[in-house]
Amino acid sequence: MARTMQTPLTIPVPVLRLPRGPDGLSRGFAPDGRRAPLMPEGPEAPGSAVVRDSRESQEQQARAALRERYLRSLLAMVGHQVSFTLHEGVHVTAHFGATDLDVANFYVSQLQTPIGVQAEALLRCSDIIAYSFKP
Amino acid sequence: MAMRQTPLTCSGHTRPVVDLAFSGITPYGYFLISACKDGKPMLRQGDTGDWIGTFLGHKGAVWGATLNKDATKAATAAADFTAKVWDAVSGDELMTLAHKHIVKTVDFTQDSNYLLTGGQDKLLRIYDLNKPEAEPKEISGHTSGIKKALWCSEDKQILSADDKTVRLWDHATMTEVKSLTFNMSVSSMEYIPEGEILVITYGRSIAFHSAVSLDPIKSFEAPATINSASLHPEKEFLVAGGEDFKLYKYDYNSGEELESYKGHFGPIHCVRFSPDGELYASGSEDGTLRLWQTVVGKTYGLWKCVLPEEDSGELAKPKISFPETTEEELEEIASENSDSIYSSTPEVKA
Repeated sequence: MARTMQTPLTIPVPVLRLPRGPDGLSRGFAPDGRRAPLMPEGPEAPGSAVVRDSRESQEQQARAALRERYLRSLLAMVGHQVSFTLHEGVHVTAHFGATDLDVANFYVSQLQTPIGVQAEALLRCSDIIAYSFKP
Repeated sequence: MAMRQTPLTCSGHTRPVVDLAFSGITPYGYFLISACKDGKPMLRQGDTGDWIGTFLGHKGAVWGATLNKDATKAATAAADFTAKVWDAVSGDELMTLAHKHIVKTVDFTQDSNYLLTGGQDKLLRIYDLNKPEAEPKEISGHTSGIKKALWCSEDKQILSADDKTVRLWDHATMTEVKSLTFNMSVSSMEYIPEGEILVITYGRSIAFHSAVSLDPIKSFEAPATINSASLHPEKEFLVAGGEDFKLYKYDYNSGEELESYKGHFGPIHCVRFSPDGELYASGSEDGTLRLWQTVVGKTYGLWKCVLPEEDSGELAKPKISFPETTEEELEEIASENSDSIYSSTPEVKA
């Protein structure tokens, strides 16, 4: 049997992080934002790479570890019943389905609300104060 | 080891992204604006895709969006029958320009003094932004809704596209100079000032015309219906995207297809090269924008090429160790914000 041609091994170009999305709370345009610091001349060349402050890199590692734990917690929630505490003392429960890329919306099913059960719903994360579930 | 393209996905929009535009290169870098059917156009840092702000005010789908050259102003065209001009630094709305039908396209002159608009009422309008109360000048002649209108030839002429025609107008006399007719719907138009080139897409064709004479230069056929194409500033490459959800990159001189990328989950509505040509952005029915490297593997923006002798650990490599060890490291670093976010629960199997 003929072997299919091996495609050359490729590795994806590494990225420092993903683009930041909207914060879900404000319209942005932070006053201390982009117009304040002037850009350095041109993008950094690989050879003259900036030496990171070791505290900065520690913080970055911590951020990455926290994010990975959070993402794993979201994965663990899939298919489980989750209790949400929303604004104004509202509590709802639902089966967790998925989140979007920015964790701005949760896709849930069988959402039990004070006014009935919604088969499918999107919960805006900015409306959620806290949530909990038992794995 | 060959490198594979890593697109950067910019999320935040909740409906299809139908238009996008880059600013020129400013001392603060360059910027990107995206028009979306959710009515909330967004401003992003051009080289990273980081969200800066959302222009709030339109009451309908935003069909067109543009930035002026130095990214101090933005303009948007919407289904609420208005075009709006915004302060792109503060996000504040500066002007609302009422129209008689859906507005589809907006474009600033180089000096940002005038705004060109066009839409379903088939009229081109020129607003003097220093006299917002004054009536705009109107140019009629199109027989179907205007999809795109652009200043060209140093703002002395106007190019406009409706369903099946592309027309060239003289600004001073407000009269038609020349027109092109197609037997298929024109899906997009891009103007390249250096070289006076016009990029027009229709059906599966990507066509290049002189912006001055409208004479054809060359054209390529893509494997699928194309909705938008963009020519690299140095005119070495062009990129195009359309109904098959894929992005295609061609050599402009030979017409050879160089690369193609899957990634979007819906048709691509717009593609544009950045002003420095280092990346291109695509907007899709799937509600996302994606940034793609022109030269795959180059260090630029958020893409960081790690060469074999250079594994200095600058990449954010998270320690994939497990809660016990990480907890201590995290506590060391956390200073005033000392509430632990995660209690020491047993590790959850993902």
